[in-house]
Amino acid sequence: MILDKIHTEKMFLYYSEKVALKDISIKIPEKRVTAFIGPSGCGKSTFLRSLNRMNDLIDGVKIEGKVMIDNINIYDKNIDVVNLRKKVGMVFQKSNPFAKSIYENIAYGPKINGINDKKQLEEIVETALKNAAIWDEVKDRLGDSALGLSGGQQQRLCIARTLAVNPEIVLMDEPASALDPLSTSKIEELIVQLKEHYTIVIVTHNMQQAARISDNTAFFYLGELIEYDKTKTIFTNPSKKQTEDYITGRFG
Amino acid sequence: MENYRIFDSELDKLAHKVKLMCSQVNHQVIDVIQALNTSDLALAKKVIANDEYINNLDVKIDKLCQKIFALQQPVASDLRYIISALKINNDLERIGDHAVSIAKRIEPLQDYQKLVQELKLEMIGEKTKALFSDVLELVKEHNLEFAERVTTKAEEIKEECREIASKMLTEMMHQSEIVVVAANILIIINLFERISGYSTNIAESISFVVNGEIVKHKK
Repeated sequence: MILDKIHTEKMFLYYSEKVALKDISIKIPEKRVTAFIGPSGCGKSTFLRSLNRMNDLIDGVKIEGKVMIDNINIYDKNIDVVNLRKKVGMVFQKSNPFAKSIYENIAYGPKINGINDKKQLEEIVETALKNAAIWDEVKDRLGDSALGLSGGQQQRLCIARTLAVNPEIVLMDEPASALDPLSTSKIEELIVQLKEHYTIVIVTHNMQQAARISDNTAFFYLGELIEYDKTKTIFTNPSKKQTEDYITGRFG
Repeated sequence: MENYRIFDSELDKLAHKVKLMCSQVNHQVIDVIQALNTSDLALAKKVIANDEYINNLDVKIDKLCQKIFALQQPVASDLRYIISALKINNDLERIGDHAVSIAKRIEPLQDYQKLVQELKLEMIGEKTKALFSDVLELVKEHNLEFAERVTTKAEEIKEECREIASKMLTEMMHQSEIVVVAANILIIINLFERISGYSTNIAESISFVVNGEIVKHKK
């Protein structure tokens, strides 16, 4: 049986007085890829960021309703946000490796979480790089600066860095939009592999990418969740006209 | 408000070609039935010659669909339309082939007009013409009322074809001298039956465009 890893109920998000997300109720299954699509400003990235409380960093943000992960409301007062972000990792559009060695980029998270044993750290680094499908490309130069890697390699390094702290959910905000087709296809292949162990939620402007890699797709428009269904249904026979108009490019 | 998409001109072109294909095949069907009813060998020859135009159009439609798939990556109703255009095109091309096959079998029947009339082949022809005029309307307008009419009429034609075939077999048992011509008639009846079968396919394809539901093999 597929469990719902994340679910929200009647969730509203306000930037000061302005409502950015309206009445979002969604169930996101465990160990599946769920894609969020919609035009710029539709709220999909805001919603993604609310799933590990990244919006806490923005002044004036207010959230109503429930955002549940493993049936616990992550906006409850007693929630430790640092632990939450360990459990719910995030990969951004622009790769952002630290200006450190490849090894240090991966070992950094586990180290601040108290792991100091050299052998254990080496193992974590190797596993994370292998899981992010970049090990073979960097294993002989772990001491080199991460900034010397190509854009696609840097992005996979960032994914490895996210995996190194053992998350259960990985949020991705347009992780391949700045990459060439070959690097994009490596990232896509990686995402499909990762769902064996992780719940993936991805925001993408590339609809063909959503179609290729996701199991379910949610279409957002003007802060509302318009349609949420199996990806194959959304792309062959969506039930809402707004979804149809958006994915076929008729939106005006 | 709807955006105009570069893609739309390609879809318009495709829709135009599919309608053209359908009306050309319609002419072939009308002509071959006329030729059969009146033993008009010149008209039968014209039907055979016109098939080349239909075959060329078939290839053009296939290529246009390939191009749209490769360059536009269609989704949703666009995707369904192009998949259906490919299938409808294929069905129409087959109907065109069947019209030619019927045309080629008119000459051997010339000396057996009485038998042809007794078997009511003319009625099957009239019903097929009526069926095809609904197919034409359906392909033009995507109105599912016509899809239902096509399916019903096609069923009736199939039923009648079976009845005639069974009569024909009885005749063959009694009159061995008609075996050669009877074999031709059986083939013609079978071709009419298949034309109605392809018409049902077209109705199913249009239902898929409109509803997104695959209705074939559902009874």
